[in-house]
Amino acid sequence: MINLVKQFINKVLKNIFKKKKHLKLGIYGAPNSGKTTLANKICQDWLGEDMGNVSNIAHETREVQIKEQINIKHKGKELSFNLVDTPGIATKIDYEDFIKVGLKQSEAKKRAKEATKGVIDSIKWLDDMDAVVITLDATKDPYSQVNITIVGNLQARKIPVLIVANKIDLKKANIKKIEAAFPQYDVIGISAKYGKNVDKFYEALFVITS
Amino acid sequence: MPHQCVVCSTFYDDGAQEILKGCPCGGKLFFYIKKSNIEKAKKITEEAKLTEIDKKQIEQDVRELAGEEDNETPVVLDLEAVKVIKPGKYELDLLHLFKGEPLIFKLEEGKYIVDLIQSFKNLKKEG
Repeated sequence: MINLVKQFINKVLKNIFKKKKHLKLGIYGAPNSGKTTLANKICQDWLGEDMGNVSNIAHETREVQIKEQINIKHKGKELSFNLVDTPGIATKIDYEDFIKVGLKQSEAKKRAKEATKGVIDSIKWLDDMDAVVITLDATKDPYSQVNITIVGNLQARKIPVLIVANKIDLKKANIKKIEAAFPQYDVIGISAKYGKNVDKFYEALFVITS
Repeated sequence: MPHQCVVCSTFYDDGAQEILKGCPCGGKLFFYIKKSNIEKAKKITEEAKLTEIDKKQIEQDVRELAGEEDNETPVVLDLEAVKVIKPGKYELDLLHLFKGEPLIFKLEEGKYIVDLIQSFKNLKKEG
């Protein structure tokens, strides 16, 4: 009888703490894989507003962005979380790459410095995440140091991961290659830009956060 | 573990007064290099051929990366994790970064290592 009471109290306490905690969902990935495009899609769908600017020039997001209290409803279930959009993780940042796409030298150097700080910040924030969505550009080779390192580290930290193969609207996209690279994970192919397959993405979010 | 002054390239051992107070040449930014990588570091420094303006710019950029605006406190950057090859050219070692070790050390009298980015993060959480 005492055990039953204890179990009941534990369950009640656990539920109280569960409700208090805000689930943090991070979006991670290489530069220009579509992290902010996906974050904008989520925010537009459930809050009716954008999260951040997107650009064809890499490292557009250079500071960690947070949108609090996003409530997703899907097939009678509800999920509430704080969405964290992170700067792209890269191993090399060179201002000359930004000059090639039209930036002035001083702007390019500033962007490189801020992007470097962004990479460091993204990695520092990883400890705070309860679940992570990794966006991959489905038109590119998934076996990059960035992708392998992010996935490996999340696995080591036992943080649930959902892999999103983005840009499936493009002809060069190859989801099979991404599935083959990360066989232990569910891979959802989407086009964040055009909203293709995002229903399946939301469904998968319930699975990794449950 | 030696430290190399970014301005005059002189090496100093751990705990040297010059690191705590600044190099006699006036430099207040040091690269932190593992002993096994000294030769590699020397080569990088020689090949980079940094001008005085480049060195000043690197120092300013690293101070900003560290969130350290005060120009007087010496700062040490762990070259194993973040390499600054020239102003605006960075190479990041992700494995090192993911380990969560301090990247940039701010030196003060009596206090040897402070991870500034981590400290800022803690402040942010408290606030």
